[in-house]
Amino acid sequence: MNRTAFDAIVIGGGHNGLVNAAYLARAGLKVLVLERRRLVGGAAVTEEVFPGFKYCVCSYVVSLLRPEIIRDLDLPACGLEILPLESTFTPLPSGDYLVRWADHDLTRRELYRHSPRDADAYDEFGHLMHQLAFAVKPVLGMMPPDLTSFAPSDLAGLLRLGRYVRGLGADRFHALVKLMTMSAAEYLEEWFETEALRATMSASGIIGTFLGPRSPGTAYVLLHHYMGEIDGVFRAWGFARGGTGAVSNAIATAAERRGVTIRTGAPVARVLTRGGRARGVVLESGEEIAAKVVVSALDPKRTFLELVDPASLPGELIEDIRRFRIRGSSGKVNLALSELPSFTCLPGIGPHLRGAMSISPSVEYLERAYDDAKYGAFSRRPYMDIVIPSLIDPGMAPPGKHVMSIFVQYAPYQLNGGWTDARREAFGDTVIDTLSQYAPNLRGAILHRQVLTPADMEREMGLTEGNIFHGELSLHQLFSLRPAAPWAQYRTPIAGYYQCGSGTHPGGGISGAPGRLGALRILKDLGR
Amino acid sequence: MSARYDAIVVGAGHNGLTAAAYLARAGLSVLVVEQRDVIGGATVTEEFHPGFRVDAFAHRMGPFDRRVLEDLRLATHGLDIVRPDPARVALADGRPLPLFRDPSRTAEAIRAVSPNDAARWPGFCRTIADATRLVDAVRRSQPPELPNPGLRDLLRLAALGLGLRRLGRRAMVQALRVLPMSLADLLDDWFESDVLKGAIAGTGLMGLMQGPRGAGTAYALLHHLATGEAPGGVALVRGGTGRVAEALAGAARAAGVEIRTSAPVERIVVRSDAAVEVVLAGGEVIPARRILSSADPRRTFLQLVGPEALDPAFVRQVRHIRMRGACAKVHLALGELPRFAGLGGGDADLRGAIVVAPSLDYLERAFDDAKYGGVSERPFLEAVIPTLTDPSLAPPGRHVMSVLVQYAPYQLKAGGWDGARREALGDTVVSLLAQFAPNLPGAVLHRQVLSALDVEQRLGLTEGNIFQGELALDQLFFMRPVPGWARYRTPVRGLYLCGAGTHPGGGVTALPGYHAARAVLRDATPS
Repeated sequence: MNRTAFDAIVIGGGHNGLVNAAYLARAGLKVLVLERRRLVGGAAVTEEVFPGFKYCVCSYVVSLLRPEIIRDLDLPACGLEILPLESTFTPLPSGDYLVRWADHDLTRRELYRHSPRDADAYDEFGHLMHQLAFAVKPVLGMMPPDLTSFAPSDLAGLLRLGRYVRGLGADRFHALVKLMTMSAAEYLEEWFETEALRATMSASGIIGTFLGPRSPGTAYVLLHHYMGEIDGVFRAWGFARGGTGAVSNAIATAAERRGVTIRTGAPVARVLTRGGRARGVVLESGEEIAAKVVVSALDPKRTFLELVDPASLPGELIEDIRRFRIRGSSGKVNLALSELPSFTCLPGIGPHLRGAMSISPSVEYLERAYDDAKYGAFSRRPYMDIVIPSLIDPGMAPPGKHVMSIFVQYAPYQLNGGWTDARREAFGDTVIDTLSQYAPNLRGAILHRQVLTPADMEREMGLTEGNIFHGELSLHQLFSLRPAAPWAQYRTPIAGYYQCGSGTHPGGGISGAPGRLGALRILKDLGR
Repeated sequence: MSARYDAIVVGAGHNGLTAAAYLARAGLSVLVVEQRDVIGGATVTEEFHPGFRVDAFAHRMGPFDRRVLEDLRLATHGLDIVRPDPARVALADGRPLPLFRDPSRTAEAIRAVSPNDAARWPGFCRTIADATRLVDAVRRSQPPELPNPGLRDLLRLAALGLGLRRLGRRAMVQALRVLPMSLADLLDDWFESDVLKGAIAGTGLMGLMQGPRGAGTAYALLHHLATGEAPGGVALVRGGTGRVAEALAGAARAAGVEIRTSAPVERIVVRSDAAVEVVLAGGEVIPARRILSSADPRRTFLQLVGPEALDPAFVRQVRHIRMRGACAKVHLALGELPRFAGLGGGDADLRGAIVVAPSLDYLERAFDDAKYGGVSERPFLEAVIPTLTDPSLAPPGRHVMSVLVQYAPYQLKAGGWDGARREALGDTVVSLLAQFAPNLPGAVLHRQVLSALDVEQRLGLTEGNIFQGELALDQLFFMRPVPGWARYRTPVRGLYLCGAGTHPGGGVTALPGYHAARAVLRDATPS
């Protein structure tokens, strides 16, 4: 047993926990990361579930990994290599299809085929989105101010926010307000007439939410895509060689190179406290490990209701965390294939298979998929976001064979009657049936199938209710309200106990931002 | 042609009349032109069957601005606001749930349905009250110029912030948090009883093309409660909402306003970027120094002014204002009062709003229908029996029931609002109410159905949207009617907007008219 004293313990070896640990170690702390599973990564893991085939079990693309983190931790030197996703392909039931390419001219030509007006509008739209993405980026790296505090540092934070808003100028500010408050579908309807275009773009706004494309508050996610494009030298929107697990492994390597100790197979039972201060953790095995700083990279429900005794926390915080919405709405189907799918509308092997494939023929299709979930059923005709990792990174499958990652919505955590094995299979069947309508050879090509429901994600990866973002990204759970005011600055009421997972700002996606901001908060509190 | 008016107000709805009255009191010569042969706009009480009168459109008050009530002495002009108790009765399988003005009486009533909810009701009322205080402060002033507020705006914003902070940290956060929420999230946070949640949600959803799961619907609830009524609260007008318009017209005329009916405006003429005159149907030209339009923004700019006179970017923004009418009205002339199961003693329980909104899912499903361009088969209903407050609205012993029906969208996927569609909606409403009051169908002497299309055709409200633009988060405050033009002025010099399409939005509040008049007076005063 390692008798070294640790300055900080990070609970949870997901990507945010690893980032947090790396930054603390970089500042000279002795850090221990404790991960329950036998591998790090949390929901960003690559696992050889079927021999020879590497599945991106849960997450599958990297969209928002902060460039400053890539740079500060020198991740490329630790094995991070992001390969571009060059296209989004939407097959249509009519036999036609829509493709958007990373190459703007190609996209324009393709859109022109559907609607000349949309081809023009796409340029203008992209231009505006780039502007707004630039405008929003600082907010992603900003520590949210405490709205209720009169402390000078918090007021300074509010002033900074005010100055930032002023600096946007009227046009961009108004455009941003619209983007933050509108539904993706309605926002896009102001720009485009091609239904499949509206739908595929709206779809990015609903991922990980319990909302539909017509729900207010889904438009701002449109920015994510453009945010990735502008992140400097490193293309931040793409597929990591080795799958998303490779991202986690790269961060873990960076952490270890800075002296972080990572223990897997070490589930934490709870945080130890004395007199309102954190003093370490106790593992499920009973082993106690001391540290003055304990950081939870788990979701807010586990951070506040399980790792500590809720009775030791203010009643208001407990009430807020109990109300914090974290409803899982997605499932995952991972396939090992003997051959590539051939889409009826664009048969054979082609560049369209190397990017993302989206089953989102119309806004109504997506909205009806959402309707099913609202009343406790999984979507009879689900939305899907599909990639074939082995086409981008051949190392993911044996030669000539392939893996397919299918992100599916909606699959509500609260399913009528609960997620039984039979219902899991029925869900998987629905996904295959739906996709087979577009690519009939699929069924015959399946060598192995893994289906993850929100209940599976909760059990396997510690994601409460299977919510992939550690909490819904609704407007009342963002920024200074995430996960609950006034505990949105990575601290908790227990001195020395901190939060650094996606349940804090800017929450969601593989960005590492909460991990980093949490570390900055800790270091500031320690006077470093 | 007479001397030029200082101001012409297009539309004699309650906002137009309010603006006119304030301008005239400040010494301006004012003419109001109304297309219909009666004043009132959406606040009008009409005979729909011989001897039976009903509020054709709005059948209850919104949070009416107290200053307007007092400044214009509307009580002396005949406005009698009635606050029934219980304010609202929610029909459900089993006992109907009454909501009273006094939170402790309501808590008692809720106890029969859910003791947990009864215990939480006072706390909920407090949080809502805190949040509505904020909303009220915001609506009583014109919107700030964001993102570059002037000094006055900044001071007001700071005062708002301080006022919030004085509530205490917790209360402040709770109030702020409510603003962007969905009604479903808000109500699920507090309560377990379906009928209670449905009843409260209904108030907020009125007029919106959103279901309770839509973000921003909690704000709409606060909007309707802005004068601090307890959730569920209702304010009616004795004699019908037409009395609001009559009282305002009385005050306006007393101040010297001229009102002409049957005078539809065909065009607002713009010359050298300034509004100079209106042209009525038939050709009469009436010049004025300034023109206030209480018509909705789309109608004002795209029809009355015309897009040729406007910047294309502005026109595009106006075209994008979401109007989508979601409501219809069903009016019933009744031979006797409906007898609702579980509502025994007398008619006291029936004087307020009677709603059919048994749960959040019910409302969401009703919205789902409309979302795809269909008419809800199980709609949300809010009914008022005005004859219980003023028996003169019907012959002795007879009654009138005014039913607001949601979701019956203007935009239908298949077909349009023809006679058959209207009758089908009427049937739906009567049979739905009959589930709770079996004697109702037999009591109906006459029935009138007004669809959103009818509202558009009769009142000129684009897409039959009673709020002149949805109360959605991106269409409020400094974004209403379009970003950059939220302070009642328009790109056309001398042309102002004064209807519900401006801040703070729709409902019978008189605030848009009040703010618009002040904006006009501010501009008219050399600084």
